[in-house]
Amino acid sequence: MNTEERNKEGILVEDAKSAKKLTRDMLAELEQKEKSPARRALDFFISVCPMLAAALAAAEYIYVPNFERFVSSNVNPERYLIFLAVPAAIYLFFWLHALVRYRMGQKKYYWNAVHKAPLYSVLFLALSALDLLTLKSGKLLYPFIPWVNDIINAAIGDWPNLLKSCYYSLELLFKGYFIGVAAGLLTGIACGYSERVNYWINPIVKVLGPIPTATWMPLIMIIVPNLHAGALFIISLGTWFAVTLASRTGIQNVDRSLFDAARILGAKGHQLVFRVAIPSAMPNILQGMTQGMSSACISLMVAEMMGVEAGLGWYMTWAKSWALYNRMFAALVVLVVIFNAVTNALNAVKKHALRWQNGVK
Amino acid sequence: MAEALVLKIDGVSKSFARVETNDITNALENINLELHQGEFISLVGTSGCGKSTMLRLIAGLITPTYGQLTVNGKKIEGPSPDRGMVFQQPTLFPWQTVEQNLSFSFRMRNNYGENKDKVERILKVIGLENFRRDYPAQLSGGMAQRVALARTLICSPEILLLDEPLGALDAFTRMNMQDEILSMWRENRQLVVMVTHDVDEAIYMGTKVVVMDAHPGRVKAEIPIELDYPRNRSSSQFVEYRNQILDMLDYGAKE
Ligand SMILES: Nc1ncnc2c1ncn2[C@@H]1O[C@H](COP(=O)(O)OP(=O)(O)OP(=O)(O)O)[C@@H](O)[C@H]1O
Ligand SMILES: [Mg+2]
Repeated sequence: MNTEERNKEGILVEDAKSAKKLTRDMLAELEQKEKSPARRALDFFISVCPMLAAALAAAEYIYVPNFERFVSSNVNPERYLIFLAVPAAIYLFFWLHALVRYRMGQKKYYWNAVHKAPLYSVLFLALSALDLLTLKSGKLLYPFIPWVNDIINAAIGDWPNLLKSCYYSLELLFKGYFIGVAAGLLTGIACGYSERVNYWINPIVKVLGPIPTATWMPLIMIIVPNLHAGALFIISLGTWFAVTLASRTGIQNVDRSLFDAARILGAKGHQLVFRVAIPSAMPNILQGMTQGMSSACISLMVAEMMGVEAGLGWYMTWAKSWALYNRMFAALVVLVVIFNAVTNALNAVKKHALRWQNGVK
Repeated sequence: MAEALVLKIDGVSKSFARVETNDITNALENINLELHQGEFISLVGTSGCGKSTMLRLIAGLITPTYGQLTVNGKKIEGPSPDRGMVFQQPTLFPWQTVEQNLSFSFRMRNNYGENKDKVERILKVIGLENFRRDYPAQLSGGMAQRVALARTLICSPEILLLDEPLGALDAFTRMNMQDEILSMWRENRQLVVMVTHDVDEAIYMGTKVVVMDAHPGRVKAEIPIELDYPRNRSSSQFVEYRNQILDMLDYGAKE
C-alpha cells in the first residue's frame, strides 16, 4: 500500500523497489545504530591509522640514531623498511579496495577495515617500540634479544636451511596428523557404533588419555632406532587420541530419531553411517581434529627439540647451542606464522563444514 | 490398476524390556486391525497407550513380540519408503538444506536424476521455493514440519504414518495444515494412520477413529465417522462424536 502511494506521487519509486530486495549488507547496516558525522570522521581516521603507524615506525627507524655499540653492526638496514612497507602496502591496497566498494554500496569491506585497523596500528607501533628498546638504546640484552632487522638478516642469510627445516617440520606434522586423524576416525566411529570395539579401545583411551603423548618421547628414542618414525608415531598417537575420543562422543550422541527418519526414507547399512551418523557427528569430529592439531604441534616440537635432527624445532635448538640467537628468533617467527596458518586453515574448514549450525552468521 | 491395499495387524503384541528393573512393559497386547487403502485412520488414546509403538511397528522400525503385520499378505520386514512416517518432531537432517532434505530419499536410492522435478513441484506445494537453500535451523516450526511432511510424501508412500505431526504447531497453522493434509489425501487416496491427542482433529480428519486403551495397550473401539468432507466442527453430529470419544477416553483414565 505504501509503495502504491509513493508511486502516484512519482517519488521514491526506486527506494521502494530496492527496499524489497534487501541484501545482507543492507540488513546489517539497517540494524546498526545511526552514526554521527563525528563518528564517521573518526572511523575514517581509524581506517587510515595503520598506514600512519607504519610511517611512524619507519621514521623512527630512520631518524633515531642507533645505539653506539650497534652503529656498524646493522647491515642491510633497508630490509627492515621493506619489511614494514610490505604489510603497509597490502593494507593500503585493501583499504582502497574497501573505499571503492563503499562507493558501490558494499560497505562491509570498509567496516572490516575499520574493525581491524587499531590492531594493525598497534602491531606497527609495537615493532617500533621493540626497535627503540634494542637497536636504538640497547636496553634489551644483545645478543639474546636481537633487533628486528638483525632477525631479518639472519633469516635471509640462512634461508635455504630455514626453508628445508620448514619443509621437514610440515612434512612430519602433516604425515603424523593425517595418520592420526584417519586412525582416530576409524576407531572413534567404530567405538561409537560397536560396544565390542569400545570394550577394547576404551581402556587404552582411559589409561593413556591423561598422559601428554610427548611423555613417551624419551622411551621412543630408546626403543625405536629411526627417530623420524618414532616422532611420526608420537604425533599420530596424540592426534589419534583426540580424534577417537571426540568422534566416539559424536557418534554416540547422534539423535536416534535421525536414524529412524533416514531408514524410513530408504537409507540402509553404510548409508546410515556415512550419510547420517558422520555428518551428524561432524561438530564433534572437527572439534577433535582441532584438538588433535594442537597436540600434534606440541609433539612435533618436543620431538624435534629432543632428537629428530631436522625441522624448525631442531633448527632453534641448534641455533641456540651456537649462540646464533638471531637465527633462533628467525625460526621462532617462522614457527609462529606456520602454526597460525595451519590453525586458521583448520578453522576455515570447520566454519565452512559447520555453516548449517547457526545458519548465516 | 493394482489391487487395493490392505494392511492387516494380526494378534500383534509388543513388549519392551525395562532398563532398571527386570520387568517388561506390555506396550501393546493382542491388536487386531484391518485397514484399507483410502482410509484415514485417527488413532487416539491416553499417553503411553502404545500409539507411537503401533506406528513404528507398521513402519517396520521395530518388530512385534507376537503376531504379525502384513501388507497385501506380505509380511512387513524393515522400513521402506512405501510406508512413509512423519514424526512428532520434524527430525530434519540439520546439515542439509531444505532441498537436500527433500531429495534425501532419492539420493539414498540413487534415482535423484529422474526425480528432480518432483522436488521442484513439492517445494512449490509447500510454498518454500525461496527457502530451498536454507538449513533447518533457519526455519520456523511450521515450515520445518511442512518440509518433514513433504520429505515423506515425495516418495508417494502407499501408507502414510503420522505421529502427532501437528502437535508442536499453533492453533492457526495447525488448522491450515489439517486442511492441507486432507486435500493431499483426498487427491492420492493412500492409507493414512494419524496419531493425535486432539479429539477434534481426530474427528475432523479421520474416516475412522480408533480409540486405544492403556496398560496394556489395546484397541478399545473403532468408530467410523460418517460425515462428509469438509467437516463442520460445530455441527451436532460432530459434537456427538466428540462426546462419545471423550467418554471412552475418560473411562479409560478412571480404570
Ligand atoms: N524403546 C522403548 N523401550 C522401552 N519402553 C518403551 C519403548 N518405547 C515405548 N516404550 C513403552 O511403551 C509404552 C507405549 O509407548 P508409546 O510411545 O507407544 O506411547 P504413546 O501412546 O505414543 O504415548 P504418547 O501419546 O505420550 O506419545 C510406554 O509405556 C513406553 O514406556
Ligand atoms: Mg507417542
